[in-house]
Amino acid sequence: MSKRVTFNRNPLLSSVLPQWRSRFVLLLLLLGFVALVARSLFLQGVNNEFLQAKGESRYARVIEMPATRGRVVDRNGDVLAVSTPVKSIWAIPEDVDLKPAQARKLAELLDMDVRDLTRKLATEKDFVYLKRQIAPDVAQRVAAMGIPGIHEQKEYRRYYPGGDVMAHMLGFTGVDDKGQEGIELAFESQLAGKPGSRRVIKDRRGQIVEDVESIRAPQDGKDIRLALDAKIQYLAYASLREALETHKARAGGIVVLDAKTGEILALTNLPTYNPNNRIRLSGAQLRNRALTDTYEPGSTMKPFTAAMALDKGKFRFDTPVQTAPGRMTIGSATISDAHPHGVLTVAQVIQKSSNIGAAKLALSFPPEHMWQMFDDLGFGAPLKLGFPGEVGGRLRPAKTWRPIEQATMSYGHGISVSLMQMAHAYLVFAREGDLIPLSLTRIDTPPLHGKTVFGAQTAREVRAMLELAVQPGGTAPKAQIQGYRVAGKTGTAHKIEGGAYANKYVSSFVGLAPASDPRLIVAVMIDEPSGGKHFGGDVAAPVFANVMAGSLRAMGIAPDAPLAPLQVAKDAETVRESM
Amino acid sequence: MSIAANSGNFSQRWLRRQEQPRELDPLLLWPAVALLLFGLVMVYSSSIATSEGSKFTGHSPTFFLVRHTVFMCIGAVAAVVAFQMPMRAWQQIAPYLFLIGVALLALVLIPHVGRDVNGARRWLPLGPINLQPSELMKLFAVLYAADYTVRKLPVMGSFKRGFLPMAGVIILVGALLLREPDFGALVVICAIAFGILFLGGINARIFALLAVVAVVGFVLLIWLSPYRRERILGFMNPWEDAYGKGYQLSHALIAFGRGEWFGVGLGGSIEKLFYLPEAHTDFLLAVIAEELGFAGVLAVIVLFALFVQRCFAVGRTALQLERPYAALVAQGIGIWIGVQSFINMGVNMGLLPTKGLTLPLMSFGGSGIVANCIALAVLLRVDWENRQLMRGLPA
Repeated sequence: MSKRVTFNRNPLLSSVLPQWRSRFVLLLLLLGFVALVARSLFLQGVNNEFLQAKGESRYARVIEMPATRGRVVDRNGDVLAVSTPVKSIWAIPEDVDLKPAQARKLAELLDMDVRDLTRKLATEKDFVYLKRQIAPDVAQRVAAMGIPGIHEQKEYRRYYPGGDVMAHMLGFTGVDDKGQEGIELAFESQLAGKPGSRRVIKDRRGQIVEDVESIRAPQDGKDIRLALDAKIQYLAYASLREALETHKARAGGIVVLDAKTGEILALTNLPTYNPNNRIRLSGAQLRNRALTDTYEPGSTMKPFTAAMALDKGKFRFDTPVQTAPGRMTIGSATISDAHPHGVLTVAQVIQKSSNIGAAKLALSFPPEHMWQMFDDLGFGAPLKLGFPGEVGGRLRPAKTWRPIEQATMSYGHGISVSLMQMAHAYLVFAREGDLIPLSLTRIDTPPLHGKTVFGAQTAREVRAMLELAVQPGGTAPKAQIQGYRVAGKTGTAHKIEGGAYANKYVSSFVGLAPASDPRLIVAVMIDEPSGGKHFGGDVAAPVFANVMAGSLRAMGIAPDAPLAPLQVAKDAETVRESM
Repeated sequence: MSIAANSGNFSQRWLRRQEQPRELDPLLLWPAVALLLFGLVMVYSSSIATSEGSKFTGHSPTFFLVRHTVFMCIGAVAAVVAFQMPMRAWQQIAPYLFLIGVALLALVLIPHVGRDVNGARRWLPLGPINLQPSELMKLFAVLYAADYTVRKLPVMGSFKRGFLPMAGVIILVGALLLREPDFGALVVICAIAFGILFLGGINARIFALLAVVAVVGFVLLIWLSPYRRERILGFMNPWEDAYGKGYQLSHALIAFGRGEWFGVGLGGSIEKLFYLPEAHTDFLLAVIAEELGFAGVLAVIVLFALFVQRCFAVGRTALQLERPYAALVAQGIGIWIGVQSFINMGVNMGLLPTKGLTLPLMSFGGSGIVANCIALAVLLRVDWENRQLMRGLPA
């Protein structure tokens, strides 16, 4: 105070309003402020690390940076499965205050009922999904409405351009983007990639407000190039679908293999499903029958029996076998042919598909020989392709075989296999008697020689027998293809229901072409044809011919037969195979 | 001479200005204005996220900024009007103002008249704005307690005639405030009333007794109400129940820790992003601490200390000019602003139990800001009258 006034101090006032009290109160208040400064110093300069750690634990979060899942492409690079970015729309219901017009527009954009929308927003929860996985452009239009409390998040959705055609081959991923079936599961580790992580700071409502550091960058999944050929796959699917409709069959499957490389060029089953829309999926639709279901192969097994007989040197292709009178009793059971044939050569046993002939060939060898052959061919053990639910079929140890069982197994009853196993086993005839493993992915350097099951000479001889089977006088003239020599074998097996053979059939055909230098194997299986025909030669063989012809052309394989009208015998002349 | 003639115009003006005593005390005015403007910035910064994210505020990020600005304008107008009133007039109407204050406090308790927010009925809805009588009551308590003390100066030594009537009035007001409940306002009003009595020369023994009774009374009040006891326990160790009772305080302390020396930068607070409740009112200092660090907190404390010190200086000058009423009003306002800001900041730092008190001059709150502005005007008036008297002019 520059102008302190002291000359008129009132003694009464100064005694009643003592100056020291004023100074005392002020001092107390200033001491309080000093205490605050000290406390602030402590909190901000000394204890700050402890407090910051407490803060970190509340709003620092490590979040996952999703890696993009790899694509699945076919052998020519056509995309079969791809992850597309989508948006999910979510809301904080408390913050959303929709006008009726806004609610209508939002509901329309999200393709949902206005009442559903308002019901979702009426919840007490802090967070609610309004619609998951919508197209990014729709999400953009939702965001453009600028409604407070409505938010979006980025997600990936797996899209399968091939739809139901590729369904069983590719399988699908779950909501968490992990493979659940098929290729998606078999190659999960390669496709999935490694998610990265970042440390971020979030506000209390979960919004990221600060990006602190990147802990690990995400590694995108690798693309998988399948052996599959999309063109062949479409052809197989369409042919199978048509056959199922024509023959009113319950189910079916087709497998196409490259005999030179062991690559799986097509795999299709019916019934199937659309992997892009998996609402109302039934177990029957989901089953990848060619791999997970076994069936009694029937006569398609006979060529192996013949091959064993030739390979051991006991028989030649022209060794006569007595099949008269078309019946044969082993123990208490009797087996029979559809037509009595009399004396047949080994080649004719295959051509005419005689059960008695096959049984006689088989019974001339100890069970162990036959078991060993089956085992070498891969029956009784899963192929281990990586598909879920792959089965190995039923192959009991040889010691437990009774003679009748050995006899029936020779023509494909009392043993069960999957369609894929059967197609695989036919590699021995398409090749020089050796067996190479199958491959789901494209192979650029195929194995030159696999595990030898039969001699090369045997393989060639059986192939010649199989050629006879598709010519007039054989069981499947309808399997012929113009311009190519075809070899193959029909199968028609009774189905077992409740322990007894029922009046239901599994028709199948496994064949290879061109017979002079086999390149492709096509295996067809039709379950319970009920359109009046059930023999493999009538039901499965035409499907085979269609798929095989289309595949050969698609792959540009040179014809090995002169272009001439096919000699298809009339129905009456076709030999009925035995069951 | 020629140089002086050349520059005479300027220097003469300069000198004249130096000679003329300024009408408003800059040491009183500018710290207060600085606190008000600083408060405006921080209210905006601390409320921007919560008001944008809330349906209640219409998702407008400037909701609180606009309102705070409007209240400051109202406060400025009220201050200009209040400055015109001589202290003599203030003294004359003080008892009536106090009665109006008591009436408003009673009115607020009437169902459907008072407005309930979070279980406390503290507001009177007046069209677009809400009036908080307890904020005005603090100002009225200063004016009335000073008037009472001046009237009873000769009997200040007597317990019965000097102390009891005031104690009775405070008990009445206290009862009304506890019904709201507004414990914070009660503490401040008690501090004002008994602080002024103390300055007014009340018998020291009585005052010592009073201090003991007050302490025992507060302890009892706290112990008898589970609601208040919980708040006390939360303050003792906020980390024990950091997501329950200690939630608010623990977040305020984290804000201090994050701020360190110079803060995370204006607008950079994480705590204000829905973590720290009441960031723009009771816990404004925590946001200041986080965004501007120790430097920001120190600035606030120093400004308050300057302001309070100035209140007492003005008060003592008035006393020397034989104006006991003006002296007590000035110091009473000093006690008010000093005690309330100390408690608020102490609460923010975990030195004191959590109670609903705003930071004077800074926090969001219409009635509080207007009351603070009027108090500032009254102070300036006291100072202005002091100067007039010192110049030999009539006040």
